[in-house]
Amino acid sequence: MKTATATINLFDDNTLWNNLKDGDEKSFSMLFERYYADLVRYGNSLSLFEEKVQDCIQDVFTDLWVYRNSLQESVVVKAYLLASVRKRIARLHERDHIFRKTTTTDSIAFLLEFSVQHELVDDDYATKEKVNHLNKLLNDLPARQKEALYLRYHQGLTVEQIAEMLDVNYQSASNLLHRGLLSLRKEWKGSFPIILLLSSGSF
Amino acid sequence: MQKRNTYTQIEDFLSDDSFRSWILSKIDNDGWEEWTLESLQRAKLVEDARLLLLAMKLPENEFSASDIHKALQNTWAKIREKENQKTVQIFKINVFRKYFLSGIAATLFICMASAWLYTTYFRSGNSVVTYNELINDDNEGLVEQTNNSDKPQIITLSDGSSVLLQPNSKLSYPKIFDGNERKVYLSGEAFFEISKNPKKPFFVFANEIVTKVVGTSFRVKAYSDKPDVEVLVRTGKVKVRSNNLAAKSDNKEIVLLPNQALRFQRSEMKFNKITDITQDISLSKSIGSIEQLSFEFTDIPVSQIFETIEQAYLIDIDFPKDKLKDCHLTTSLSDQPLTEKLKIICKSIGNNTSFEMNGNQITIISEGCN
Repeated sequence: MKTATATINLFDDNTLWNNLKDGDEKSFSMLFERYYADLVRYGNSLSLFEEKVQDCIQDVFTDLWVYRNSLQESVVVKAYLLASVRKRIARLHERDHIFRKTTTTDSIAFLLEFSVQHELVDDDYATKEKVNHLNKLLNDLPARQKEALYLRYHQGLTVEQIAEMLDVNYQSASNLLHRGLLSLRKEWKGSFPIILLLSSGSF
Repeated sequence: MQKRNTYTQIEDFLSDDSFRSWILSKIDNDGWEEWTLESLQRAKLVEDARLLLLAMKLPENEFSASDIHKALQNTWAKIREKENQKTVQIFKINVFRKYFLSGIAATLFICMASAWLYTTYFRSGNSVVTYNELINDDNEGLVEQTNNSDKPQIITLSDGSSVLLQPNSKLSYPKIFDGNERKVYLSGEAFFEISKNPKKPFFVFANEIVTKVVGTSFRVKAYSDKPDVEVLVRTGKVKVRSNNLAAKSDNKEIVLLPNQALRFQRSEMKFNKITDITQDISLSKSIGSIEQLSFEFTDIPVSQIFETIEQAYLIDIDFPKDKLKDCHLTTSLSDQPLTEKLKIICKSIGNNTSFEMNGNQITIISEGCN
């Protein structure tokens, strides 16, 4: 029993994080393996250059190790990593902007379309239609609302963390989420319960 | 897992890790399925949350374990590299600190000494930069062409730009422009028509001045035995600055637009911008035929267009007169180097028309126009 809890603790994000701070290469590698694919997926939603995204993410991890002594002790590892990746890609965009004058100075946009899961086999046709419809509504949302929703419900970040990441205050972040769901509510006809529930929701 | 009994909003479910892993990864560690079926109202809520989550997926990128492993290896390599850099930097900083004070003293001494040397030896007179110095500065396989005849000569550069070199002038240029810049060196006078390439700016080094262009036509007059250097722009925009080799002069860039000119007084290292060339007697008098000719053609017989080009570049164009007898063209060739002009004309005539260039002799091969 004791050993079982020990292994679970060993794999816990924060334990790995603290081991990493102490210079444990194995913990570093484990965090890398745990989050790499997910971070690439998120990074790809912010930049069209897949190669560069992976480069950015590897740089984030590089800095993590090189500057491990100055890392904070209690962080939500996932939020920290997502935010670092976002910052780095934003910096890359800025640099590109200066040199090529292509992108707008405005911060980076969440580009990717949400997609519908393909394995809806066991669902009936009506459900699939509903999901497709919702998906379309979601994709029509402004990029920042979309990103906020993604970070909140897909990555499970808190509103505070999202606010920090998007460099806005708490209220603006919660407004982003609220407005996102609000427009879904307005548009999503045909499902009564969600309308009721969202209207009573406080974000 | 009792918390979930108090869930009343979709948001509650969406933020629940365990719920998400049930929906998205089908890992039901907490018996969500059973729990959901306990009440109808709950089932509705769960269903809506589920639909929303399903509609919010991001496209999967399937990374194999080996892909991630490779990325990890790569990252470790980056770490090693960065750590090495860091140690070198720390080392440098230490060395820097150690010798900081003596360094300051030495630097001051060197500065003062060179300032003194500079003012006493270089400032007077040596600021005149000649063609030979420039060439020696950059002699990576340059080709030199000298025009000793009494007629202008046409030179076509590897990028398609054309240079009409005046008598008693010479131009040095690389056989092929590689790198990010195109640099040529002029002594005397020439009219340049530069093929457009924003990625590779074109520089003309002539005595003490450097003329930078992207694609345009202009004339540079820089005889080493004359007191002035002149740049006259016909189309496009050029930037002129003094050469770094020429000591003591502000490194200001002067922008010239069409029909503007610049005269650089070599003895005083001074730029004079001339905005209206017709007001300047010596400039307006010296305008060569190419600058006076118009290359705007509206429904003009091809033969006449060729004649204009022959006149402008002092070349000989041989073309099948009978076959092109009834061909008329409407085209604007003002801002194009010679080869570009010929290409455009051949393309407009159509019918597999092409040209061959052999020094000052151009041959047009054509079966007539469309």
